[in-house]
Amino acid sequence: MLEVPERDAVYDEINGQRKVFCCHGCNGIYRLIRNEGLEDFYSKRRNWTPGPAEDRAVDISAFLDGLRPAGSEMETDIILDGIRCASCVWLNEKILLATKGISYANVNYATHRAKIRWNPGKIDIGAIISRIKSIGYTPKPFLPKAWEDEQKRQARDLLIRFGTASFFSMQLMLFSIALYAGYFQGIDERIKLIFHMISLALTTPVLFYAGWPIIKGSFRSLKNLTFNMDVLVAAGSLSAYLYSIEQIMTGGEVYFDTAAMIITLILLGRYIEAGAKRKASETISRLMQLNPREARKLNVSSDQAVSDDRLHLAVRQMVPVSSLRPGDLLEVVPGEKIPVDGVVITGSSEADESMLTGESRPSRKSEGTLVFGGTLNLFGSLVFRVTKTGKETVLAQIIQAVADAQTRRAPIQSVADRVIGFFVPAVLLISLLTFLGWLYHGAPTSRAVMNAVSVMVIACPCALGLATPLAILIGTSNGATRGILIKGGDVIEKAATVDFAVLDKTGTITEGKPVLSDAIGVGIPVSEALRLALSLERRSEHSLGKAIVEAARGLDPYEVAAFSAVPGRGVRGMIHGKPALIGSRGFIVSEGINGTIDAGLDGKHTLELMESEKSGSTVIFLCHDGSLRGVFVVSDKVRKEAAEAVDMLKTAGLSVAMVTGDNLNTAEAVAKKTRIESVKAPVSPLEKAGEIRRLEKEGRHVLMAGDGVNDAPALVEATVGIAVGRATDIALESADIVIMRSDLRLVADAIMLTKKTFRVIRQNIFWAFFYNSVAIPLAILGILHPIMAAGSMAFSSLSVVGNSLRARIR
Amino acid sequence: MWSMFLLILLTLCAGFAGWIFFLWAVKTGQYDDIERPKYRMLEDDEGKEEKEENKDKEAVKKD
Repeated sequence: MLEVPERDAVYDEINGQRKVFCCHGCNGIYRLIRNEGLEDFYSKRRNWTPGPAEDRAVDISAFLDGLRPAGSEMETDIILDGIRCASCVWLNEKILLATKGISYANVNYATHRAKIRWNPGKIDIGAIISRIKSIGYTPKPFLPKAWEDEQKRQARDLLIRFGTASFFSMQLMLFSIALYAGYFQGIDERIKLIFHMISLALTTPVLFYAGWPIIKGSFRSLKNLTFNMDVLVAAGSLSAYLYSIEQIMTGGEVYFDTAAMIITLILLGRYIEAGAKRKASETISRLMQLNPREARKLNVSSDQAVSDDRLHLAVRQMVPVSSLRPGDLLEVVPGEKIPVDGVVITGSSEADESMLTGESRPSRKSEGTLVFGGTLNLFGSLVFRVTKTGKETVLAQIIQAVADAQTRRAPIQSVADRVIGFFVPAVLLISLLTFLGWLYHGAPTSRAVMNAVSVMVIACPCALGLATPLAILIGTSNGATRGILIKGGDVIEKAATVDFAVLDKTGTITEGKPVLSDAIGVGIPVSEALRLALSLERRSEHSLGKAIVEAARGLDPYEVAAFSAVPGRGVRGMIHGKPALIGSRGFIVSEGINGTIDAGLDGKHTLELMESEKSGSTVIFLCHDGSLRGVFVVSDKVRKEAAEAVDMLKTAGLSVAMVTGDNLNTAEAVAKKTRIESVKAPVSPLEKAGEIRRLEKEGRHVLMAGDGVNDAPALVEATVGIAVGRATDIALESADIVIMRSDLRLVADAIMLTKKTFRVIRQNIFWAFFYNSVAIPLAILGILHPIMAAGSMAFSSLSVVGNSLRARIR
Repeated sequence: MWSMFLLILLTLCAGFAGWIFFLWAVKTGQYDDIERPKYRMLEDDEGKEEKEENKDKEAVKKD
């Protein structure tokens, strides 16, 4: 099957075989084909629930708020959880449209939002919800957020302004070309006047409609006595516009095209930038859907002493998560998401916390341990007391931290803004000096004013608006084709400065996925030992067990009777009527088969096992009929390209260090293999962030690469955070750069790409100013040739566009 | 001379029409989802089949 990120994959049992799909849509289509014919598919669909067991009855009341009438029909927006590719969209739309009573269904692929319209007389919202659930997707109410609507409105506004500016500028250019030709060949005065008037008419909306936000922004910043890009653009375009109007009256040459082109190119640059930003915020809103919306509450007053009997008898009731208070008792059954944070009161289980911690190994839960909202309860029921709800849960705080980090402005202002900081005052000063100089030499005031204004006109670099966004666009799309997602322009600027790389171990330097690296049969062949192990581990959810099942693929398992699992320790059952055990050394010993472990192995093997345990691998023992039958070594392999990637980072001039929550033995073994000299272990997530803060205080610019939420604080803290490989959603959100493929070398590539792009941006800014600045002396002397103005505009734009094409690697 | 003015007028009209069309496109949400449409060519059962499907289902329900 396809290579699918583990947390994204959908599993399904088809004719006894376990199949992996990229999404429910593909799963559905696969079944569709298997069942040969749509009718069959529809009839089986009702009692078929693929994917994660999330099919509790959904509280319809949560959806009622979102209903609104549309003519004689009803309409609503619903978020569809589980959409991963275009075929999911296809499947949902088809199924909904085929449902009687639904007149319109459209699923937005980018936002996962479905708009559905139906006839209330024929179908109700509850039926629609269960219809969607029946094909394996989880509908969630879409709660429109004011800021989201606002953002959408702004994006439209910007698009309309840019489109308007482009259309009018295009028209304008026709007349400008005619006027250029007329300048050289001579032109009838009347026609020239008509063309001037048309140009004026076409330029006015570009400046005062499309460019209005820029002009408004420049007045605001002038009030605060600061000079930003808006001031330069507004000053340049307005002076060109007013200068041209004066020229119409005196019969000179006009510069309307300059004025319009400045505004249009600036708006194009802004539109390119806004697109990238919008994508980021859409991912955040999708992340917020991670939280479950309902919880199974036990109706026991919490101040009474809690006994197991009372809990057992208590009435269970589904309530919305928003109504929960600290102290409430909740129950989660296997396969359910844990709704909020809490402390376990009774029950034992394991929880998949990979969405929070990035740790692929499930964490063990029993009385007294903490559970976290948004994580998945694997195979035992738990009753826990709520400790934190709403915005205080770990998940909510992480989302908040990520959202804050994204809205935070780049510590260093963009390059262009810094250049403008001194360029604008300089131009204003030169133009003032021009005015005074001409007056001093006895020129009439009107002549002095005109020359001063023409300095401003020629100085305004219209390619400046494109200099940064265009290089960033080309750099980021070059990165995207090789699996490097760069989240914005400020990231490029920051990444270009890094000189120290800190890499996380689990999932970054290593694969983050345990695999069977060694198997020994004791008294039986290895394949027989594997077969026994497979029979037992087949039904276990444990990731170490999965590694064995994976390795034993193709072997036939035996019947297992009286199967039971001891979370975090091992599994037992009866094979051929005799007891069989598989698990850790401690588990085997506690089961009373003491002594067999060492008795069954000769000295050489014992030594090897000790070595394995030292290098960070886990050793699992298999017993059957009272004696040791097999030994398995499961380890997290170092990525094969890791050493090369470390070398590439060193070549790029970075120092490399490793941090991990694992023990020092394992860490040092891995570091040795990858030629990393500096190791920090074991460290907690917060200590990781602290370590990075310490390095930055020393004046280092730190790159942090990791894949889980335990890295998230460090990713945010670092100058540049890079999420690698099968990273969790939260790591993806907190990182500045995301590596899509599981290839560590791309981290080094990303750094080279950003350094290159940043260099190109600086060159672009130089070229944007160069031609215009060269022409300034002509304007000072009052001999500004209109063709010089047009030429310097064209050349700076061409230089910027051409140079931007170089913002790529290899 | 008049032919030139006519052409200028035509150009302005054409440009203006393009602008109006663009405004209409933005206002009716043509630019809202630019990811999805590129996959539409892979979906080949529009229209006819769908109606037949509905009819079949209604027939089944009547039975």
